[in-house]
Amino acid sequence: MRPSLLLPKHTPTLLRQQQQQQNVSRGVFGCTVAAREQGHHPHHHQQLQLHTAATSTTSSSSTSSVNADEISHFSALASSWWDPHGPSRPLHLMNPLRHDFIADCLASSPEAATPLSPPAAAGTQTRGLRYLDVGCGGGIFAESAARRPGTHSVTAIDPSATILGVARQHARRDPTLTTGTPAEPKLQYLNASIETLPLPAAPERLFDVVTLFEVVEHVDRPAAFLDACGWFVRPGGWLVLSTIARTWTSWLTTNVLAEDVLRVVPRGTHDWRKYINADELRAHFEDGARPVVMGVVYVPGLGWKKVGGSEKLGNYFFAVQKRDVVRDRQNKINRNWGVRL
Amino acid sequence: MDVVVKRRAAAFVCRSCTRRSQKQLQLQPRLRLRRSYSSAPPGPDIYDVVCVGGGPAGLSLLTALRANPATAHLRTALVEAQDLSKLRSWKLPLDRFSNRCSSLTPSSALFLDKIGAWGHLERSRVQPYQEMQVWDGVTGARIEFDWASGTPPPAGTTIAYMVENLNLTSGLLRRLDELGGVSVFDNAKVEDISFGEETEELDLREWPVVHLTGGNQLSARLLVGADGANSPVRSFAGIEARGWDYGRHGVVASLQLEGEGWGGDQTKVAYQRFLPTGPVAILPLPGNLSTLVWSTTPANASLLKSLSPRDFIAMVNAAFRLGPTDLAFMHSQSSGQDLEYSWRLEHTPFNSRAVPQTVAVVQEGTIASFPLKMRHADTYVGERVALVGDAAHTIHPLAGQGLNQGQGDVQSLASTIEYAVSHGQDIGVRMSLEPYVSERYLANHVLMGVCDKLHKLYSVESGPLVSLRSFGLNAMNSFGPLKTFLMNQAAGHGTKVF
Repeated sequence: MRPSLLLPKHTPTLLRQQQQQQNVSRGVFGCTVAAREQGHHPHHHQQLQLHTAATSTTSSSSTSSVNADEISHFSALASSWWDPHGPSRPLHLMNPLRHDFIADCLASSPEAATPLSPPAAAGTQTRGLRYLDVGCGGGIFAESAARRPGTHSVTAIDPSATILGVARQHARRDPTLTTGTPAEPKLQYLNASIETLPLPAAPERLFDVVTLFEVVEHVDRPAAFLDACGWFVRPGGWLVLSTIARTWTSWLTTNVLAEDVLRVVPRGTHDWRKYINADELRAHFEDGARPVVMGVVYVPGLGWKKVGGSEKLGNYFFAVQKRDVVRDRQNKINRNWGVRL
Repeated sequence: MDVVVKRRAAAFVCRSCTRRSQKQLQLQPRLRLRRSYSSAPPGPDIYDVVCVGGGPAGLSLLTALRANPATAHLRTALVEAQDLSKLRSWKLPLDRFSNRCSSLTPSSALFLDKIGAWGHLERSRVQPYQEMQVWDGVTGARIEFDWASGTPPPAGTTIAYMVENLNLTSGLLRRLDELGGVSVFDNAKVEDISFGEETEELDLREWPVVHLTGGNQLSARLLVGADGANSPVRSFAGIEARGWDYGRHGVVASLQLEGEGWGGDQTKVAYQRFLPTGPVAILPLPGNLSTLVWSTTPANASLLKSLSPRDFIAMVNAAFRLGPTDLAFMHSQSSGQDLEYSWRLEHTPFNSRAVPQTVAVVQEGTIASFPLKMRHADTYVGERVALVGDAAHTIHPLAGQGLNQGQGDVQSLASTIEYAVSHGQDIGVRMSLEPYVSERYLANHVLMGVCDKLHKLYSVESGPLVSLRSFGLNAMNSFGPLKTFLMNQAAGHGTKVF
């Protein structure tokens, strides 16, 4: 379906949900560690052990963000996911920028970027970053994150078993990705949605970086989905996503040009009505720390380029850091002591 | 058993993983026993980069990777057919020079310095030159590249450095030994290159496996072909190299001139004269030594190699002073060129300061020749394969750019690998290697085309093309800014065009 000419009056999905959810505590990035420990997450009482592929099934409960049509669309693309000249080429080309963006985010608050070692483990070596990649697809980002120097481990989830089959097969081509320990492999694929993934009980098992690349525009109930993803971010960690703004430009470029005219993206990949604007995301995370936004533009023949302000036009990256209440309090005490001394 | 397989795979990947798994194995002696009693033949060793060919390109690639902290952790191997200990112990007295010399541009030298190799060269055997004299052997039209006619660049007045290839490779090898960490397989020929296998844990069916004499098998995430014009790696990848033979041979020799050159020790000059049979060049080495590169017909080349030293010297001196007709006649004589030259010289007017000083001695055993070709591979990369240097392209030596092109390739490939590593890309897949091709292919192609056209332009002996090329050369000579630009291009600084 194409958007009507009443474009500006279209109520975005995210805002609609926000209106519906006004009474629900909004923005996990404003919530405290204490609130999380009181068990807001539906899966909190489950064991720390994560699902294995065999036991998890695609959730069809009413709380799921998974859209059955989207799953079947992407499952059909599974075989071409890793073809560098196939329909996923733009994603392959965008991947390095994702790492640059994450590196920029981590560098923006260096003291919080290193995982906070729990007091018991004090003095032990600083470990690398733990990633959770939500909607990992064939594993373009997940594999690269696992390969990067400075990564401890990557957990990657996707509701499509077909695509995960492709991802697992592809990861076998690189011995680096089969390293790690049986308890925590370097790269682990799980057939799960964020709602069916159990929240680790131990805070140190939360993730330093939770990524949702080109995902929010494909889920139902994005507001609830973002909140659910937020639970998995450790305090001081980052929720990082990329998506497309809902504008005339993005309709023309991603729907008309990319899918219908140039056919560089398979038809039916994008539903323009589900696109989310950066301002809407900013409003959603208003309780959190200041978000980082970076607009990117695809130049045929050259690839993706960072263009300041282009988040108002089309593709953009968005990241928000989860508040670290404990550290904030400690910093405050330190500051006060500093003043007194 | 799963665990064992996984550990083995891990052990091949990086040093820290290797250390960890060794520690684990020490803690569990049972596992180690099981491994050592295994009757299965040892599988291939897994490397991130296997470089076939230990010439200037291969050695500087490995040096660049090892010298860069971002890529130093990669597991690398070097395969070389020659015995590298001979190269390590290469030494010649200062009055003897190897006949295979190259002209290194300042940008190549800068790169070698960046990877820490420049300091390992025998610097007393490296000769920078500051001027070039190039002229047309038919019409005498001339272009003088000296900085007086234009503003010298802030980067210095050096156009290029004359370096013996062996000085360069032995210096690179010393630097590589200093860095350490590369598994070196020298004295080893590549017997076969096949693809890897699929196991329960791993699917290495797209990974090249290099089989060496002596039974070693090296599995490569990225297989680099730095293995010369007849590259086995290129054949394995199914990449065609197209081009043509020039029907010319390059005759080389180490020469001693009667002095240090017209500009003395401080201003060294390179001379090149375009003869209808091909360009002849005398390039300065330290003191009164120089190196000769003379492109000529195979018949002329074999005659030159058969001459007595006296007659050979006479031919070289004649090549810079006499006319093409005189030279053609002297090439038809089987001996006696020395006498022929002295009387013909008396009747040939020329400006002695516009040609190199007279050659006095040719060093014994330095006269050699090799066929000249132009070849360009269709692409420089395949899945898990990259080609550098002569494996990717062979160029006419008239501009002295062959080795520099190879160094340019290496610089580009090393930075492509660095980018891929830092962004978590698999350095072997074509997608990760694409920037290397797009950065180098066209640049090399343009330069090769220019050299090829120059060769063809100056092969013409008469007709309108001759006056046209002379007009062009004279016009260029009187136009300072263009000359400065061309000199900067030759030196590799200024805005990159080629």
